[in-house]
Amino acid sequence: MHPRAGSWWPNVESAKATGPHAFEFRLKAPFAPFLTMLGSVLSSGALIMPKHIYEGTDPRTNPANQRPVGSGPFTFSRWQRGGFIELNRNPTYFKANRPYLDRLVFQVSSDPAARLLAFERGEIDFLHWYIVPYDRIGQLRSDRRFTLYQKGDAAATNGLMLINHRHEQLKNAKVRQALAHAIDRRSINERALFGEAKVAQSHVGSTIAWAFTDRHDYAFDPAKANAMLEEAGARRSADGRRFPLRLFWAAGRDYEGRGAEIIKDNLRDVGIDVTVQTFDRTSFIDRVFRQWDFDLAMQLFTTGPDPTVSVTPRYHTKQIRRAPFVNGMGYSNPEVDAFFDRETAITDPAERAQAWHEIQRILMQDLPALPLYELPPIHAASSKFANVVTGPQGYIENREDAYEVR
Amino acid sequence: MAPPLLLYAGRRPLQAVPLVLVIFLINFTLIQAAPGDPIDFLLGSSDATEEYIAQLREEFGLDQPFLTQLLAHLGKVAQLDLGYSLRFREDVLTLILSRRPATLLLMGSALVVASLLGVLLGAVAARRPYSLTDNAATLLALAGYSMPVFWLGQIMLLVFSLHLAMFPTQGMMSLRAPREGIGMVLDVAHHLVLPVATYSVYHLALVFRLTRVKMQETLALDFITTARAKGLPESRVVYGHALRNAMLPVVTVIGLNFGFMLAGSVLTETVFAWPGTGRLLYDAIGPRDYPLLMGLFTVLSVMVILANVLTDIIYALIDPRVVYR
Repeated sequence: MHPRAGSWWPNVESAKATGPHAFEFRLKAPFAPFLTMLGSVLSSGALIMPKHIYEGTDPRTNPANQRPVGSGPFTFSRWQRGGFIELNRNPTYFKANRPYLDRLVFQVSSDPAARLLAFERGEIDFLHWYIVPYDRIGQLRSDRRFTLYQKGDAAATNGLMLINHRHEQLKNAKVRQALAHAIDRRSINERALFGEAKVAQSHVGSTIAWAFTDRHDYAFDPAKANAMLEEAGARRSADGRRFPLRLFWAAGRDYEGRGAEIIKDNLRDVGIDVTVQTFDRTSFIDRVFRQWDFDLAMQLFTTGPDPTVSVTPRYHTKQIRRAPFVNGMGYSNPEVDAFFDRETAITDPAERAQAWHEIQRILMQDLPALPLYELPPIHAASSKFANVVTGPQGYIENREDAYEVR
Repeated sequence: MAPPLLLYAGRRPLQAVPLVLVIFLINFTLIQAAPGDPIDFLLGSSDATEEYIAQLREEFGLDQPFLTQLLAHLGKVAQLDLGYSLRFREDVLTLILSRRPATLLLMGSALVVASLLGVLLGAVAARRPYSLTDNAATLLALAGYSMPVFWLGQIMLLVFSLHLAMFPTQGMMSLRAPREGIGMVLDVAHHLVLPVATYSVYHLALVFRLTRVKMQETLALDFITTARAKGLPESRVVYGHALRNAMLPVVTVIGLNFGFMLAGSVLTETVFAWPGTGRLLYDAIGPRDYPLLMGLFTVLSVMVILANVLTDIIYALIDPRVVYR
């Protein structure tokens, strides 16, 4: 089992084929996200493995790991380590007349500026959203040589500011709520993400429409933030400062750094003295999720394709453990835990949506983290090709529909 | 070649063994002391159970105490087993060897270009010190010597790839239309130009400056005056007599460069997406791939030491005054 499937696959009691095109899954208990997860390539849904190659071997050392075998539109051709991976058209693909392209090559390129240059020069035809910098999107959009695709909303990625609940001041909910009022998230979107993102209003992304609610959002209101901080007993000292905080971010995503600087400015206005510090990603994870040695931290969390597999693992009390991307904030509320434990068994969509609205009400009130922005997955492709990204799961889906425009 | 030289060549690498051990110990301690956990990179998501994490730790020996890990690793390295890369899930030695040709090609070309041009320009400049040519060359060398490689790489890309469209930006060969035989050789050579130019600049400047100074010193010595007085042609005086004497320290520097060049250049290879060992190092640091990092550092230290021995031998060959006992 892939470790990423750990949050949903253990619910399966048994699985067996009942016909050439039929499958039967038996679950230990009703589990609402099951079908979504089964069909998802995000968060590693059920990936089909070739039995004749893996059966009776140690899957970790099977040579097919270096020469993958699959059933997709393209077959593995060669891999120059550190250079490129080449796939060829699968002539026996199960869909007739697909794919259109003969060859796909993935170029490995570690330098952000250089690969963008290669793209602009036409050496590379496609950049997936993680490596398209937001500050260049406007320019790419107005250039007819390139086509932008906004696809892949199923992951519903939120940028958040994690809040350490062990901190002397931050353990007070009133102080956390004051931070939410003090931080100008619209300005972060305008200035850190060049207006390409959307202000996040909840712990579930708005693209997970059935579950999302914006009813519990905070308005930008520094005066109210000041009043709440006074009420919480965090009074200003003679120099106008209330208390200091450290805000960490991991190098690599420039917008997180710019966002951190705006937060620093915003919080200075309400008397909180923020020191922004940056780490390389591995050190950052160690500091935040293993040492729990942080006050505030910039982090991305997906909230889809189903919030059960992406929201629950961050905020459940059970998830206060020293591991990456779990509840390093030390947030615990038995009321929300009860909802988390119960909602997976609710099979009526309306009722389940209601449970998730309740969860968001509590999370927005308790603020284990402050949602800042929803990141739109914007991919860039050469206009010489069409249908490069088509599905809701974005670039992770295959290129079977992509074709060359002549 | 005198037999004592052969003896020396055999003895010198053995003397380096304790040195390699110390370097190994320091590297191992530093890497382990760096914050971060390779397991975090491998998991990359929140869904792994505690049991799975524990299982991974055990599999990679990360649950063992520091000293046990160190001794186990040392024992394996003594048998030429550099371990198993956590990130690439491959044998470290295989991984390094598979990246070596790309690095050797890049660095070898750069070394040849930098050394030949550096010595030649240095000798030419020294013939007429403080002339216009000399001043211009010296100024350029100063600029080349102080220019950061990653910045220079970006500028090269902007000018020669984006605006002049003369050279490709990424990788070792064209991925769009792969070619065979002589076509492939030309294609690789085309891709090689910018990274070699970028990487050579610093070393070229270094060799140039050193050659120039040494040549100037040598040209002022008595034996040069004697050579001129004998009526030897000027080119013979400069290149036959002076250059040969001025070369000694230059050879040392080139030898040192050689050691480092074998390790690959992290920055050049990263900017140009060159699939060599320098990029491998870069890709190993983020995930804290302990075995791969140790493997790369160990190979690097051995290479530097071997390059030093080689330099000593060349020294003896070009200077009959140098005698090894």
